[in-house]
Amino acid sequence: MSIRRTLLSSGLLIIALAWAASALANPNEACLKCHGDKAIIGKGGGHLFIDPITFAGTTHELIGCTSCHDAISSQHPHDGIRPPRAQCRECHAVIQREYAQSLHGGNASCTDCHNPHMVRQPMAVSGDFINAQCNKCHDKAKTVTTHAKWLTQADLHVDAMPCITCHTSSKNYVIIMYIEKRQANKPHSDFREATYAELAEAAGGKEISQLIDVNGDGKIEMSELRRFNTNAKYNDMRLWGMMMPEQVTHSYQILDNRWDCTFCHSTGTKAMQTSFVAFPGKDGRYTRMQVEKGAVLDLLFGTPDFYMMGTTRSTALNIIGALILVGGMMMPIGHGSLRYLTRKNRKEH
Amino acid sequence: MSTAESSHHEEQMIYLTPTPVRIWHWLNALGIVTLCITGIQIRFPDYVNLFGTYKAAISLHNTAGIIVSISYFLWLFYYLFIAGTLIKLYVPTMDDIKRGIIRQALFYFFHFFRGGPNPHHSMPDDKFNPMQKFAYLMIMLVLLPLVIVSGILIMNVAPLRDMIMLVGGIKILVSAHFLIACCFFAFLFVHVYLATMGHTPLAHFKPMWTGWEKIEGHGH
Repeated sequence: MSIRRTLLSSGLLIIALAWAASALANPNEACLKCHGDKAIIGKGGGHLFIDPITFAGTTHELIGCTSCHDAISSQHPHDGIRPPRAQCRECHAVIQREYAQSLHGGNASCTDCHNPHMVRQPMAVSGDFINAQCNKCHDKAKTVTTHAKWLTQADLHVDAMPCITCHTSSKNYVIIMYIEKRQANKPHSDFREATYAELAEAAGGKEISQLIDVNGDGKIEMSELRRFNTNAKYNDMRLWGMMMPEQVTHSYQILDNRWDCTFCHSTGTKAMQTSFVAFPGKDGRYTRMQVEKGAVLDLLFGTPDFYMMGTTRSTALNIIGALILVGGMMMPIGHGSLRYLTRKNRKEH
Repeated sequence: MSTAESSHHEEQMIYLTPTPVRIWHWLNALGIVTLCITGIQIRFPDYVNLFGTYKAAISLHNTAGIIVSISYFLWLFYYLFIAGTLIKLYVPTMDDIKRGIIRQALFYFFHFFRGGPNPHHSMPDDKFNPMQKFAYLMIMLVLLPLVIVSGILIMNVAPLRDMIMLVGGIKILVSAHFLIACCFFAFLFVHVYLATMGHTPLAHFKPMWTGWEKIEGHGH
């Protein structure tokens, strides 16, 4: 009897622990049961649908739905109360204050740019993704036209950096390279950021980072970069470098020093030493892998499609150029000296 | 071609450089010097600031580049279709290759210092000595087209990206543009210096301004 009771009570305890564990493992399950089902779109609108795949792994998923939606009653949705919107400032007060004081503060709310159910750390998103948020309101073609009034090759600049590189006040910048791909059977199609699935296919069962980091040591040497860039197998792929702020802020503004091209195009070989390759993950989040210092300054094949006029000039090329100039000067200097010394010979004739 | 005999010397004035060629030459000279100087600021903005702002240097560089490009195509059109003398003037003959270049090099680097005569005398239909022919052929039909094409690509990176990828990426393109530009810069020193090697230091400069060159003697 006592054994049976013990077994029964143990069984109940295990069930209770398992339930608690499952509840702890996914505290959002109850919410996602309805909100993770696309059927909810037909019932109340697209904003009610939360994609469980993109929500998974976000910081907001970890803290749980009810951390932000704390006014939801236990009878929801049968209580007939429309829950109030979550308040970002409850957790992000500092950022909210910084943003409110910026030039952009009165123009868009947090959720106009950030979907809280798929929000990621700044380092886990690509430059293209950041620009896509800006493009929701700022039409890309119009942005290029406006900038072209003063900015040389505005289309190139808009492609080569996220808007926040110029329009916020980060103190330092890094070069992030993204793998771009175009359709293999269409050699002149546009390059666009490669997805995880495309890269996984190219990697053929290996980690996608091993497309470049061949030895899998977690860092990318110059030789590995050159090998990737010169490998005919990867002709439909390229590394597209973007200049990203090292520290992302919400201090949107038009800074006076950004009108001056030399803010970026003058720092010489000391800058631009820090670069990363960002690989997309299955969930779309990017992971950065450090590249050997000086890669963007490599003469030809380190980063063949990344060049910043004046900034990423190659020292080796400068030396060759200087030798060519010295060669040209040798004619007036060398020949001219001999000519002067032998001037009497010509007078005699 | 016109010739005029000077009465009191054994000298002959020949009309060596027609007006369109002179206009082209000085336009090119101004353009190439501008390109070299602005190019230095564009490559070394942290050391050189001659034009106020980086943007000003780039705008001037682009403008000069476009002018030199148009000027080049006018030159090519003129020599190919109007004067029709491109091949005759610029392409070395077999004799130039076998003997002429060596003879001319010997003069510049040996006989000249001993006071020997220049084996070549410029005439309207034989303006350049064999070394000049070879040098100008390289410059006008190889280096200048290459620097023009690379410059046009660099000016339009986003729209012409496919063509840039064909040459191996922007770094190869910019490197080629820079090295060819260095060759042009080096050429300026050689060109101006060699131009002082006439009968007098200014003898070769005057015909490029007036068109007329004074030829001493009749030994040609």
